[in-house]
Amino acid sequence: MEWVILVSLALASLVFVTDPAPGPIRLRAQARNMDCEHISAQEAHQRYPGIIAAAKPRGDYVERRAMVCKERLMRPGLRVAQDDAILSRLEDRAAELVGVAMRPDLADRTWLVETHYPSGPVSAKIAFATKNALVQQGLAVSDRTPVLGVDDLDVITHMGPWQAYPAACRRYADTGGMGAGDALLAVVNLDPRETILHAGLCADGRWEWLQ
Amino acid sequence: MKRLFLALFLALFVVLAMGQAPPVWGATPVEQAQQAELDRVRAAVADQVQLTAYDLIDELVYGWVTEPVFPASTPVVLAGVTVPVGLGTGLQALVENHVAAVLAENPTTNIQLAHCPACTATVVQSGPEVTIVSRGLDNPNVLAEIGSATGRHALFLDIEAEGAWLVLRARITRLTPDLPIVWSHTIASSASTPPLLRQPGDLKSATQARAEYLDALRDRGPIAIPARFVIRTYAAPGDQGGVPPPPFLWLQTGVELGANESLAWTSSIVVGYSFIPQAYQGLMAQARISRLMTGRTRSHLRPDLYGFFGVSAISVWGAATGSFRTEKINADEILMDSVGDGPRTTFGAIQLGLDLRLGNRIGLAVFLETMPNLSDSRNLGDYIAVGTIGFQAIGTEVGVCF
Repeated sequence: MEWVILVSLALASLVFVTDPAPGPIRLRAQARNMDCEHISAQEAHQRYPGIIAAAKPRGDYVERRAMVCKERLMRPGLRVAQDDAILSRLEDRAAELVGVAMRPDLADRTWLVETHYPSGPVSAKIAFATKNALVQQGLAVSDRTPVLGVDDLDVITHMGPWQAYPAACRRYADTGGMGAGDALLAVVNLDPRETILHAGLCADGRWEWLQ
Repeated sequence: MKRLFLALFLALFVVLAMGQAPPVWGATPVEQAQQAELDRVRAAVADQVQLTAYDLIDELVYGWVTEPVFPASTPVVLAGVTVPVGLGTGLQALVENHVAAVLAENPTTNIQLAHCPACTATVVQSGPEVTIVSRGLDNPNVLAEIGSATGRHALFLDIEAEGAWLVLRARITRLTPDLPIVWSHTIASSASTPPLLRQPGDLKSATQARAEYLDALRDRGPIAIPARFVIRTYAAPGDQGGVPPPPFLWLQTGVELGANESLAWTSSIVVGYSFIPQAYQGLMAQARISRLMTGRTRSHLRPDLYGFFGVSAISVWGAATGSFRTEKINADEILMDSVGDGPRTTFGAIQLGLDLRLGNRIGLAVFLETMPNLSDSRNLGDYIAVGTIGFQAIGTEVGVCF
């Protein structure tokens, strides 16, 4: 009868398992859908007081760390893979792009944001996140979008991206679409196969690729 | 023909601009089934994130209550609400309604929602050089008319699923041709965090709501009055054995005491009574100590599992209690016992079990019981034996705590 106890204990360990790794009760697809982060035991106690014990007053005998795993909201396959890759880290990407674009000589400009991405809704979200990130840096930001005439567009759309963006930047300055007090941060997806975003800066008619 | 192509192109452009997939013309049944399954899963995800989205909006409006953007009541157009890509417009409508409801309940935000058909409608403006087709919000000339006359502002909201986080971005833009952003904010919440479900008229910060939750955990009181309905069944002996006792039904009540505010350790003392006409009656007293196995604090939100150890003193009498003897009993002796008061037996028992608690009110337990002074009874077998200890009874109980 002892084997009944042993099997019961083994089953109990499966039922109460908290390890997010794939195993008998968690498929690889489920494990892949988790977002995990390592945090300190102190932070884990503050976030989950009923689950993670606080450090003892004289310290713990072993160093404890916690790994917090959460299931992603959008399961794989629910949206286009490229969109999912961009959107799943949008806040970090926007902050990173703004960090690259910050320059002391442009601190008093009014910032405009332009995005070029294959999907319209995703493009709008990238612009939203970028504008918010700029405002959080204390910069003056406008919802205005500089426009070009039909003739300019006809020429520029026949150029490759490496020539088109500098040309558009020049025309913004020449046609008055952007004034001397404006700076434009363009967030661009150059290749529909890539999951990174490039950034370019347009100020005073000069274009500069940032990344 | 040119007009036909132009009309088709414009229709396709409008559909794509609205972010909606065009109908799947000519799709095979398999593709249609896949699309239907995808829609079903997306709807399920939308249901899951709805409360978290509401929470983020409550947090946003609470921020406006504590730190208003405008010094006086200001008309603001809800110019755009976007939800996670792939979750459809149903969630968008729910979010819009919730924003309006919470803002209406909290006039101290100084944000007065205004209706502005010209802002969101498609406006066509023709001039000698160019014809512009756009939303009113995107047309500087339209904005100049709207903003200068009323001093209106536009509120844009965007909710997006980023990994395990639901992120709300908000910005307020002054509706003048320059379109300056006057305020913006970003809030994130993990979807696995329980929604706070704040009342629209009594908004709280996440910190305050968490403090209330912890207070509720601490202040729920360490004393409870349990009422339990218990069924015990006894194992039949092996070959050549006697007749096992029938299942016993018990009603128990007493007091349950937590060792501390976390209710990680609890103990209970209960008395019980059992009565089946013409069969048996019984009295019992039981003491039990329980240990929380899932976490260190009893949760309000998820079931908690306790392991417990208990000791009982049980006294039973009546015609059907003859089996609680050590000697083998047969059917004739059972019939003889039915004359008069029948036999009376008192014995001790030890329990080991698991108790699942739901919502701090309902309990569902299962336990194994050993009766040391009946361990060599020829009328009882063992369900499980661990070494020399045999568990002769299995019990289940359903309890309610007051």
